[in-house]
Amino acid sequence: MLLPLLLRQAASCRAAPRRLLHHQAQHDPRRLLHHQAQHDPRRLLHHQAQHDFLRRRLPPRLHAQSRNRKSKSEQQRDEWSTRNKTVLTYIAAAGVGMIGLSYAAVPLYRLYCQASGLGGTAVAGHDVDQVETMTPVKERIIKITFNADRHASMQWNFKPQQTEIFVVPGETALAFYRAKNPTDKPIIGISTYNVVPFEAGQYFNKIQCFCFEEQRLNPHEEVDMPVFFYIDPEFDEDPRMARVDTITLSYTFFEAKEGQNLPLPGYSYN
Amino acid sequence: MSTAMNFGAKTFTPRPPEKGAFPLDHFGECKAFKEKFMKCLRDNSFDNSMCRLQSKDYLECRMDHQLMTKEPLAKLGFRDLMDPPPNQSDRDSKP
Repeated sequence: MLLPLLLRQAASCRAAPRRLLHHQAQHDPRRLLHHQAQHDPRRLLHHQAQHDFLRRRLPPRLHAQSRNRKSKSEQQRDEWSTRNKTVLTYIAAAGVGMIGLSYAAVPLYRLYCQASGLGGTAVAGHDVDQVETMTPVKERIIKITFNADRHASMQWNFKPQQTEIFVVPGETALAFYRAKNPTDKPIIGISTYNVVPFEAGQYFNKIQCFCFEEQRLNPHEEVDMPVFFYIDPEFDEDPRMARVDTITLSYTFFEAKEGQNLPLPGYSYN
Repeated sequence: MSTAMNFGAKTFTPRPPEKGAFPLDHFGECKAFKEKFMKCLRDNSFDNSMCRLQSKDYLECRMDHQLMTKEPLAKLGFRDLMDPPPNQSDRDSKP
């Protein structure tokens, strides 16, 4: 008899506890009461506890999220600022480096020119005794052409006595120019020279000539002006000179005033 | 004359002569030697190697007349012309 009661109780436990209670009030009051007491408060407490827990959880969650977001953007800003600082430092260092390089470039370029001999700058340490000991390079024949110029206001007649001459490196050669003063008053002239191509200029060594010193010509006087020179034997070994077959020597005369003291060129570089 | 306006272009720097400048031969004392030299050049189609004797003679004349400082000719690159040739083959090797 008790078994159907129990079954019915289990089935309708959720549905209608009160009906059951009422129904079973007579039979098992103690048990039913106990059951009801067990069920309801626990369930109610559980439900309430859950709700409170949920309620309690939400505000912390929101708070945590906003803090994370702020820290992320802060982190990003920090990152950017450090990156900017490093980039700025690099740029500033590059700028200072450029300024330093531009100052260092002047002596460095001069050293480089001396070492490589570009632009006909004097190769340091020209051995005068080399003339004595050098041997001519017979295979390499070079044509030297001569040119004579004068300043527009210079009234001398100035011309070379030979248009060209064939020399070999390592051999001394002699060439002549002629100058005539057709005027009635003495004229003092001073000359300079030029060698084309420029790179060959460093190999063109003059032992003696008539340049860079005042030369005085009396009225209607005509003189022969020799140039004694040689081409350095190292000319043959320079790869840049491999195609050079003609060197042009050009002299230009200027009128000089009496007592004028011109500085010799090339000494400023020593 | 090379102008200074072309920066970066190669410029030519003239160098003073090693032994200075020749004094001018106002009186033409060595003109005869010069004429011999020029004739030799013209005959040999301006080949300097053939006329070294004549250029040596001209420079000796200059030295004799005090138009050039006296120096041993070997120092002027005429060493090969100074040595007396021991045999004919040496004469051939003379430039």
